[in-house]
Amino acid sequence: MTLIEIVNLLVSALLLAGIYAVMSVGMTVIYGVMKIVNLAHAGFMMMGAYLALELFERLHIDPILAALIVFPVMFAIGRAIHWLLVRWLPTSDQPTLASLLLMFGLWLVLQNLGYLIWGNSDRSIFTPHTLSILRFGGITISSVRLVVFGAAVACMVALQLILNHTWFGRSVRALIQNRYAGQIVGVDDKKTASITFGLGIGFAGLAGALLASLYSFNPDFGRPFLIRAFVIIVLGGLESVSGVAIGAFVLAFVETFGILFVPAGYQLAISYGLLVMVLIFLPGGMASLTAKVRRLA
Amino acid sequence: MRVSQRTLSIRGLVQWRRFALLSILLAGLAMMPWLVSSPNVIRLLFLTFLWVTTSVAWNILGGFAGQISFGFAVFYGIGAYTTALAMNAGLNPFLAFLISSVTAAAASLIVGLPTFRLRGPYFAIATIGISEAVRVVMTNLSFTGGASGYRIVEHRPFLQLEHYYTALVLASIAVASSILISRTKFGLGLNAIRQDEDAAAGLGVNPYAYKLEAHALAAALTGMVGGVFARYAAFIHPQGVFGFQTSVHILLMPVIGGIATVWGPVLGGVVFGIVEEQIIASFPEIHLLIYGALLILIILVEPGGILGAFRRLYRRLHARRRDKTSNPGGGEADEIFWRPRRG
Amino acid sequence: MEKLTKYFGGLAAVKDVSFEVREGQIFGFIGPNGAGKTTLFSIIAGATKPSSGTVRNRGRDITALKPFRLVRAGIARTHQIVRPFREMTVLENVKLASHFGRKKVANDAEAEAHAMDILTGFDLDNVAHKPASILSVGLQKKLEIARAMATSPDLLLCDEICGGLTHVETAAMLDLLRRIRDEGTTVMYVEHDVKAITAVCDRILVLNYGRKLSEGAPDHIQQDPAVIEAYLGHPPAKRKED
Repeated sequence: MTLIEIVNLLVSALLLAGIYAVMSVGMTVIYGVMKIVNLAHAGFMMMGAYLALELFERLHIDPILAALIVFPVMFAIGRAIHWLLVRWLPTSDQPTLASLLLMFGLWLVLQNLGYLIWGNSDRSIFTPHTLSILRFGGITISSVRLVVFGAAVACMVALQLILNHTWFGRSVRALIQNRYAGQIVGVDDKKTASITFGLGIGFAGLAGALLASLYSFNPDFGRPFLIRAFVIIVLGGLESVSGVAIGAFVLAFVETFGILFVPAGYQLAISYGLLVMVLIFLPGGMASLTAKVRRLA
Repeated sequence: MRVSQRTLSIRGLVQWRRFALLSILLAGLAMMPWLVSSPNVIRLLFLTFLWVTTSVAWNILGGFAGQISFGFAVFYGIGAYTTALAMNAGLNPFLAFLISSVTAAAASLIVGLPTFRLRGPYFAIATIGISEAVRVVMTNLSFTGGASGYRIVEHRPFLQLEHYYTALVLASIAVASSILISRTKFGLGLNAIRQDEDAAAGLGVNPYAYKLEAHALAAALTGMVGGVFARYAAFIHPQGVFGFQTSVHILLMPVIGGIATVWGPVLGGVVFGIVEEQIIASFPEIHLLIYGALLILIILVEPGGILGAFRRLYRRLHARRRDKTSNPGGGEADEIFWRPRRG
Repeated sequence: MEKLTKYFGGLAAVKDVSFEVREGQIFGFIGPNGAGKTTLFSIIAGATKPSSGTVRNRGRDITALKPFRLVRAGIARTHQIVRPFREMTVLENVKLASHFGRKKVANDAEAEAHAMDILTGFDLDNVAHKPASILSVGLQKKLEIARAMATSPDLLLCDEICGGLTHVETAAMLDLLRRIRDEGTTVMYVEHDVKAITAVCDRILVLNYGRKLSEGAPDHIQQDPAVIEAYLGHPPAKRKED
């Protein structure tokens, strides 16, 4: 392997990490605040992708710009769903099976809606930029990937700013640490939860729209990304934006360099395998959670 | 002492009645082929028996023990492929089924040993990961045909009745196991693990071992179903038997019917078998929608599933007679996920 | 003569606590909040591992045993916040312990009979077939103890079982503990209520900030100036001789 090839792979991994990160952030905030494992995340990413598709085909809006429109739309949808369905779930400091199954049911519904509205054939978005490539020395980068990476980084930074410098962000961080204590201190946990859920869905849709410019998609395309999102948030410690970034990079790195050792068809199995191993062996974020569960009252 | 004596005799009476009813039902099902001539109905019943089996099997781990697995397709698929390979090697199909149950159970140990350290949703997510990983691997494995599937060549003639009775026997075994478990120490232990694993451990239950045992039994039954189906269909492929869709179906039935009860999964299997066939025939496009909506409704409104809804109805109608005749409610999970609303 | 020795070190909550419990005693632990009492219990009950030190029961090292194995070794525990199995009946709660406890039961009927006996002994037989969730907190605490006793332990760990009880209920609970001791089970008792502990224990160990502050008979503890200082914050005032 030449140095140039390695560098190229590293750059690839980095760009991939960006998109993986923004895809996982949505799940992270929802999990952190509400301890809900959002299995429907895949469905909302799918929605985002198809919304971008519609915007592109009907209004000729570039998908990356479409992401800017998709975000608020999905945010509103997220809040609506929270109001309709999610707020009835019993609150808890630990993820409950009820929430898991509820989101799973929601995912099934979304998938089916996707099939009904858009059919089950693969779609993709082709713009004049799709195939353009930039070269820096010996390094080749798809320009779309670069822009997507830029958008992803911008989103993560924006989210970090919101979390650290706004009143809302403080509420979120308080609830993440201890929901009950947050309530006592005066955080409106229902409203914060609602906005957080909206944010989470908004980011899911945004990620979907960005992904739509990179890959082809069908209503079921969320699933492998969902599993990747799990890996990432578990790797990253479940409760911080920077953790997500780290987790995203690790996964992207493993996947990109994994191609060298494993035949193409087994690639997805790497992510799944990593998920299982991470869940079982990883100290730090994951282990401390299981330790909490094990402690007797 | 008087109270318990009276309860015992009432229980005895109820048991005799139940036993009689069950025998009649079983006899009826056994005679079905002579009562009904349409092969379509027989086929429908055949599939229903298979679904009832997986439903009841999954419920042993997911319902009784409370460990929700999204990855039972692994055992279904392993059972299917084991039977296929064994039969193509010349083995008797019933021997193949038995071997399938063993391989599926072995697989469940491999899956369970690392994952049963995890609790609740983490366990569930891990099972999704494992299930998908296995599917990907099987899709790429060439000696079993890979993505294009694998055909079973059977030199015996196709006898629908043989398949019918195989499935009926399998379903009966599954339901009988479920009933037995619910009444013995094993079931009590699983129930305790479901409600509070640590408290159960503090009283002498070995949660890890029990979970592995429940998993193995559930996997063995599911594996056999996979085998029976494989023989019937004579062709299997990874997308189908190892697919996430299969895991979803297996999980949906007991949850919709009534999780953690003995008859809920049976009801779920029956409903699923009948409804699924009809829906696939008439409205193939919306069956995910219906199942998703049903799941949502169940979680939010009646976590006890269809059975739970019936029970609630029954209780409301017979509110006054409740004290004397009601079942003390051991082990039935009306509130498996639900904590009472505050205020 | 049973020797239950524990030496711990290093755990931030509990530091270098060592003691020995004789068979047939009620051995109490008191200390201000955060002194490490529940952590100590968790270590003995196998829920937490000590950073260093050992727990020994009758000469055997049981430090690393998992909770369910400790039951076989004869140690049972109750919890500070009761954890009954809410979806089971009272009888089933105890029957579980009968099945999985030290006494061998041949079948379900035998376990049920054993459980019923225990319940009768605890005056809970009239609610045997009711779901455990409907019991009042006081009764739930009794159930917790009944359940633990159904595993036929040699040693019972009681974690603040008098929390939230009225004076009458507390007195009844202490009588219960005495009866348990008289019937042959050693009791280790953690409590916040100093009066309750001094009333019922044969020997007391005082914890403060995770360290052993004092150990001895109840009267000795009550007069120990170090203990008084820990609880009240200042040295005991000299008694004025009138």
